[in-house]
Order: sequence, then C-alpha cells, then structure tokens
Amino acid sequence: MAQSLARQNKSRTAAIHLILMVLSGFFMLPLLWMLSTALKPIEETMTQPPTWIPTRVLWHNFSDAFTYGRDTLGYTPFLVYGRNTLVLCILGVAGTVVSNSLVAYSFARLKWKGRDFAFAVTLATMMVPFPVLMVPIYGMFKEFGWIGTFKPLWVPAWFGSAFAIFLLRQFFRSIPMELSEAAKIDGASEWAIYWQVVMPLAKPALAVIALFNFMGTWNDFLGPLIYLLDQKTFTLSLGLQVFQSQHGGTQWNLLMAASAIVVAPIILLFFFTQKQFIEGITMTGLKG
Amino acid sequence: MTLKEKKETRAALLFASPWVIGFCVFLAYPLLASIYYSFCDYSVLRPPVWIGLRNYTNLFQDEVFYKTLSNTAFYAIFALPLGMLVAIGLALLLNTKVRGLAVYRTIFFLPSLVPMVSLAVLWLWLFNGENGLVNIGLGMIGIKGPNWLSDPEFSKPALILLSLWGTGNAMVIYLAGLQDVPVQLYEAADLDGASPWDKVRNVTIPMISPVILFNLIMGIIGTLQVFTVPYVMFPGGSPARSTYFYTMYLFDNAFRYQKMGYACAMGWIMFVIILVLTMVSLRLSEKHVHYGGGA
Amino acid sequence: MVNRSLFPALGLIGVAATAWYSERLTAPEVRPGPVRITYWEKWTGFEGDAMRAVVDEFNRSQDEIFVELLTVSGIQDKTLLATSGGNPPDVAGLFGPNVAQYADNMAVMPLTEFCKEAGIGPEDYIPCYWDIGFYKGEVYSLPTTPASTALHYNRALLKAAGLDPDRPPKTIEELDAYAEKLTKRNGSRIEVSGFLPNEPGWWNWSWGYFFGGKLLEGDTITANSPENIRAYEWIQSYSKKYGAGDIQAFRSGFGNFSSPQNPFMSQKVAMVLQGVWMYNFISQFAPELDWAAAPFPYPADRPDLAEPTLVDLDVLVIPVGAKHPKEAFEFIKFVQSQKGMELLCMGQRKHSPLREVSPGFYEKHPNPYIRLFTELAYSKNAIPAPKIGIWPEYQAELNAAFDEVYLMRKTPKEALDYVQARMTPLWEDYLLKQKLREQR
Repeated sequence: MAQSLARQNKSRTAAIHLILMVLSGFFMLPLLWMLSTALKPIEETMTQPPTWIPTRVLWHNFSDAFTYGRDTLGYTPFLVYGRNTLVLCILGVAGTVVSNSLVAYSFARLKWKGRDFAFAVTLATMMVPFPVLMVPIYGMFKEFGWIGTFKPLWVPAWFGSAFAIFLLRQFFRSIPMELSEAAKIDGASEWAIYWQVVMPLAKPALAVIALFNFMGTWNDFLGPLIYLLDQKTFTLSLGLQVFQSQHGGTQWNLLMAASAIVVAPIILLFFFTQKQFIEGITMTGLKG
Repeated sequence: MTLKEKKETRAALLFASPWVIGFCVFLAYPLLASIYYSFCDYSVLRPPVWIGLRNYTNLFQDEVFYKTLSNTAFYAIFALPLGMLVAIGLALLLNTKVRGLAVYRTIFFLPSLVPMVSLAVLWLWLFNGENGLVNIGLGMIGIKGPNWLSDPEFSKPALILLSLWGTGNAMVIYLAGLQDVPVQLYEAADLDGASPWDKVRNVTIPMISPVILFNLIMGIIGTLQVFTVPYVMFPGGSPARSTYFYTMYLFDNAFRYQKMGYACAMGWIMFVIILVLTMVSLRLSEKHVHYGGGA
Repeated sequence: MVNRSLFPALGLIGVAATAWYSERLTAPEVRPGPVRITYWEKWTGFEGDAMRAVVDEFNRSQDEIFVELLTVSGIQDKTLLATSGGNPPDVAGLFGPNVAQYADNMAVMPLTEFCKEAGIGPEDYIPCYWDIGFYKGEVYSLPTTPASTALHYNRALLKAAGLDPDRPPKTIEELDAYAEKLTKRNGSRIEVSGFLPNEPGWWNWSWGYFFGGKLLEGDTITANSPENIRAYEWIQSYSKKYGAGDIQAFRSGFGNFSSPQNPFMSQKVAMVLQGVWMYNFISQFAPELDWAAAPFPYPADRPDLAEPTLVDLDVLVIPVGAKHPKEAFEFIKFVQSQKGMELLCMGQRKHSPLREVSPGFYEKHPNPYIRLFTELAYSKNAIPAPKIGIWPEYQAELNAAFDEVYLMRKTPKEALDYVQARMTPLWEDYLLKQKLREQR
C-alpha cells in the first residue's frame, strides 16, 4: 500500500515537474527571443523558418540602439533617457519614503479623533482612476508653468500615496506599542519616537515601497507622455516608444536591443533585491 | 480633550500633513474640478464655457464611446478571470514543494517586471503575422496563425494572451497565501478521503479567498484603465478600432481633439463604474470570502 | 549617534541636489547674445539635413537671431500638447491639414499682419499651396515643402508581365487590369501585388476625391455621397479579388518605408500612389530600380477628373504662447524667400511652392519627374485635405471605415453611412461650440 502510494507520489511529482518545465519554457521564450533577435543582422530577423542562433552575433546592435540618433541630436538618447529616469527615480523614492512614513506614523502610532474614518477614506481613494483626475491636474500644472519640466512627475510623490500609506501603516502597527511608550516615558517627542524608534525597525517595509516606487517610475508612460515635451527630457519608457514609432517596422533587431536595454536594469535590480520584492508583493496581497 | 490628547492630535495632523495637502490638491480638487469641467466645453487653451449636460448627452449618443466601453469590457471579462486562473494554477503547482521552486518562481515572475513599453514592443514582434514567434510556434503544430495585429477579431485576444504572460506578480501573492493555509486543514480533509480537487475546492480556495478578492478589486481598477500597451501596439486602436480602449479615447479627446470637458465626463463615468463594480464585488464577497485565515 | 544622524542629512542634501539638477535639465537656456528661438520639425534623415542647411544658412547670415532646430516625432500631437501646456516652441513644422484644428483652438497665431509687413502674398505661390495655410480670412501658416502625388510604377515588372512600360494605365479600369496581370501568387501566398489601395496607407481618406466625391460641401459633411461610395466599392474590389486575409498576410511582411525593404522598392508592389519625395528614397535604397511616374488614373467615365493629385504641404506656424513671435517670423520669412525655399526643396528633392523658380532649378533638379509634380500642383483636380477643425476625428472615422471596407466587414455604403451619421452631429456640435466660444 505504502509502496504504490510512493509510486503514485513519484509519478505525480514527475508530472508536475514536466508541466512546470513546459510552462517555464513558455514564460522564458519571449525574453530569449528578444535577446536572439537583438543580436541578429536585420536580414536574419525575417528568415523563414526562423533561427535561434544568429550566424553572426552582432553585439554592436546594442551599442547601435543605445547611440542611435546621436549624430542628429547631438547627444546619446538612451543615455540621456536613462539619466532622466534615474533622476526621477531618486526624487520619487525619496519623496515616497519620507512622506508616506510620516503619514503612516500618524495613522498607526497616534490616536486622534476620526483617524479610522480618515484611513478608510484613504483606502477608498485607491479606487479613483487617474483618467478622471488627469485633465484638472494637467490644467493645474499648466498654471504653475510646470509642463515641460520634471516636477509633475516627482513632486506628487512627496505628498503621500494611498497604497504606500496602507502598507506602511499595517507594518507600523505590528511594531509593539511598548517601545513607543517606553520612549515617551523617557521624555521623547513624537518626532524622536518616529525617527529613533519606529523608522529603524521599518527598514524592510520602507525598502518595499521604495522598490515599488522605483519600478513605477521606471515603468511610467502616461505621465511622461503628457508632461514632457523636449526629447532631451524623455524617460526610458517614453524614449523607447519614440524609438519604436520612428523606426517601427523593420529595425526589429535594433528595437529588440533597445527594449532589452530598458528591461535589463530592472531585472538586475530584481536579482539584487529578490527578498524585498517577494516580501513586498506578498505583503500587499496578504494584508489586503 | 485632555492636554495630552490635544498634543497628540496636533502631532498627528502635523505628521499626516503631506497626505492632507496631497489629498486636497491631487485628489479632492481635481475630482471636483473634473465634475465641473464635465459640464463645460473646455479646451485648456481657452477658459471653460458652461454647456450643461451636453457632454453627457453627446456621450450617450457617441458610438465610439460604446465601442471603447465594450472593448474594455471584453478585455476585462477575459483577462481578469483567465489571469487569476493562470496565477492560481501556477501557484498551486509551485505549492507542491517541488525541487527548484525558487527557480521556477523566478522564471514565472520575471516577465511581470518588464516595463510596459518594452512589453508592447516585444509582443509587437512576437505577434508579427509572418515572422512572429507565436505564429511560428502555431505553425509547428500545424495551425496557421492569424494576423494577430491586423485582424480585428484577433487583436484583443492577442492583448489578453499578452496579459497572461505577466501574471507572475499575482502568482507570487497567491503562493504566499497558499503557504499560509494551515496544514491541519489539508490533513483533516485527507482523513475524510477527499480527492485533490475536493481539497482545492473546499480548503484552498476558501482559505485564500481574501487574497482573491483583493486581487479582483485591484484587477478591476487596473484593467479598466488599460492604456500603455495598446497605445504602443495599436495606435488609434486599429485595426478598425478593435483595440480602442476607454482610456485611449479619453486621452484622445483631451489632448488630440481638445475636448477636455468631454474627457472629464468620460473620466467620471469610469469612476462610477469602478465604484459600482467594487461595491458589487464586496457585497458578493460577504457570502464567499472567508476571513481569518493564516496560522 | 553621530554616524546615524549624518546619514539622513546627507541623504536630504543629495535629494535637494538632485532636485536642483532636474530643474537645470528642463530649464530653458538663457544666454547672452542673439535671441534664441526653438524650432520643432518632423524631418529626419536627408530631409532633416535639408532643413538643417537652411537653418544654418539663416543663423550664419545674421547675428540677432539663433534658431535651434529640434527633431520631434509625432509633431502635431506634441506641439498641441506643448501649446496646451503653455510651453510651446517658437516655430513648429506641422502638416497642412493641422492648420484648421489649431486655428479653431487658438493654438496658432495669425500671420496676416506679419505677411503684410513683409510683402508676402498669394501672388507669390502656387494657388493650392497658399490656400492650405489660409483659413477663415487669416493666414495661419506658410509653406515649407510642397507635395503632390502621382502613380509610381515598376517598369521592369510591367515589361515582364507583357505590358508596355511606357504606357502606364490611364484609367482606373486600366489600373485594375494591369494590377491583375502584375499580381503573382505562390499557392495562396501573394508574392507580388500589382497595386494595393492601402499602400502606403497615408491617404486612405482621400480615395473618394479620385472618384469625384467630396468630404465637405460648404458646411455640410458629405461622407456618403455616391462618388465616395463608388470609391470604397473600388477599394473593396481589391479585397474581393485578392482576398483580404491574403493581402493582410502579405502586408505584414513589408519593411519600413525608408529602407530597402520598402514594398515598392523591394519590388513586392508594382504600382503605388506616392509623392514627389519618392525619387529620393528610391535613389538611396534601391538605385537599380527601373521605375517611372505618371499622373494617377481617373475613372473612365469621368475624364474631367484627369490628373488628380493629392497636394499636401509642410507648413510653419507660430504657436500661441511662443516667447519670440517676431523673431520666429523673421526665420519663417527667410524660408519663404526664393533662396531659402529652393535650398530646402532642392535638398528634399521636391518642387517649390513658389510660382517663380530660379533659372535652372528644373534642369539642376535630380528628380527626373520634377516637372510632372509641379504641373500636377496646378491641376484643377488637386486634392488638399479638407480644412475643417474636426479633421483629426473625421480622418479617424474615415480610416476606420476604410479598414472595415477593406477587411470586408461592412459594405461601402454601410461604412460611409456610418461615418456620415457619426460626423454630422459631431460637426454640428462643433460649430455650435465655436459660436459659443466666439461669443465670450
């Protein structure tokens, strides 16, 4: 009886492994194909039947894509796009960490009338889609004279976001109140408690919202599309789309190379911060 | 209020001030302004002119409005459940504690990290009628692949397939949820002689139902706003407006046709739809969602 | 303790520095010396070089104004965005059909006064080109490079199909017959196509005009006039004859327009409607091609529609909110001079929108068909895009209708009736709003 059960288990495991391997193939194929195409000479992208390994591996496709248009524009587009994206990421991450931790502290560690109602309202704002806010916000930025600058893309991060507030509040609540009370007995102000007691313990959660904000900024397309005007100020996402719409159609190998350039840093970041990523995602899903 | 309470309240408001400002400036004001503009003819180059309900009456007679609504609904109705099935399915597979779980998890998760513009560009290439990997793959099993990108019947399915590739994100959440399910419940089910499918249906799903609900609501909010990928892959919603989605039409009205009042009306309608769907989900969930999971 | 409190302080300084840096990146440069004006243009490649030569010449010729030329893709959308955002360039190179919409939205400045001062008037230009920039009694744009279109055909393929390479089709019916002879298939796959109505697909809205139909008569939308329906039936006949799916599959293997994989240049399509610029691309990417150009055919029963040609224009406008309109016009004026204009048009291998050309312009011009294109511009069947403020929507509707007809999902009458039904209330609504705006 035990033997046949074991055999059943073995074949089940084997079956599962098989399925997983096939599925992995499907999930990995597109990315591998992207790389394969990126390294091919242009004629080979259209051969029938298609090949995986290019006859000539054109590493310079990457540098070609990276530096395309350098002569006409006078600067290296993807380098500039990368720099702009990085600047926005830095400002956005800083803003998100600072503002949301402050607000979450208020919701999690302080008692005040209407706090829970305010928190419920905060949660509710997650249902508000950006398109309904888009036009007035745009008009507002226009009045400020901010259209064409980076400000609309990072300043709002300094004023809180419902999602990050939610995440951090849950986390802050899990820090024992006794720590705060002990500090209060020692005569510490709220600011001191925030800064010296809560924040150091919150590093994992802060890392998560920083990561999410970084990814969001890297990924953002609609924002740069409506707020940025001069091509010199474009971000990687917008720059890639411009590259695609200008050179669309044939230059598939360059296009795939450019696409890979935009994807690579994120994948690298993931490998360095895997723990935070997975933790963060599970936190969002579970505490919801 | 005691002095201590007053002090605490003052500190609390001070700490919360970034959000208070943010809420007023980036949420409350635009939301109200948006309603006002929706009753106006507003091109941001000229001050708004009150025209009453005209934008709304025009909207309700606007065939493109209905087309974009139906396109978006079609996409959501298929992409959401299929996405959940795939994500939960993958999570269930991984939850069997196979060897190399971390590797598989990474493989399934990686595609969801790809920035949306890169995603769109990559799948533009993959779905190419002649040279795309998808049709080549289909060809290898003897199916003549359709012209995904230029055939109106297949453009939305293409987008739906594409969205399934990015479910790694949700899978990780479900996996964590699955790992939270107390083993005792499974053991108890085993004692009752339950089949694997019974276990899934009666233990697993109920235990992760809060996670499912959360993902469903976030999914509704996100899917109804789909913009970047179709914008890059199908400019103008071509072919024949088959991939013209709601947000794209809103965007065109605001920035290409200079009809910002009209766009605001569209925005509010979208908001109301999201509210209604969320309420319905929450109401339905009361019967089906099982809180109190986790050890 | 010292260590820890230093960390966040450094962090804040770093963030502040980054913020300041980000401002520097997007701030306009303020330098002493000549007034710097920004000029957004759409051209890349050799067309961009031609304009760059003009800009350099202008900058070289005087000290007061310096023009900064920027290449922008999606320029009609980007300029509108920039103007809405209050941060437009001083000069923008749009397409002729954009003028009406921009003008109605008060997004461009009228140039009438500037023109009067500079002595620029309609008598200097080929009529159809002046007309494109003239809207509601004001001049809103001035030309850069003109375009007219003609049938480009592959002589070698004609010869191989037993057709006289020096006798291109004169009527639409002949065109269809030639196309049949020129189409080659391999099983169900099309290998060579004689003609495709949606190649290049930039003017899908215009086919009605070739059959005598108009999109706008006075203030009335006439999308579903009988002539337009007839045109769409002609379009659908290609799908019926060759199979919509087969054509689609064929087209998905086409390469980029400006590359050797261009369908006409790679000899996949034998005859195509193209413009005066085509010569240049052919000589760059397919110099061995044996080709010729001729006026596009007309329906046999409508000889009054002979010599039809789409006329289009690249134009220069000054967006509302530009910081240096006067200097902007100085540059525009330079481009309008014979010297400036011919430098530009010769560089792009196009003809000139000015009536007068310098002696030897035609002789020196490398495009062997340049006189044809100029003559076509004078044709009484020159077809410009309708000057209507809702042109983007109208065009979008027509494109959608074209797709539906081409993919055989609707009959031409259904598709055009639909366009008519959609555009008429939209247009009336638009006219009403314009009136309300003007009243304020």
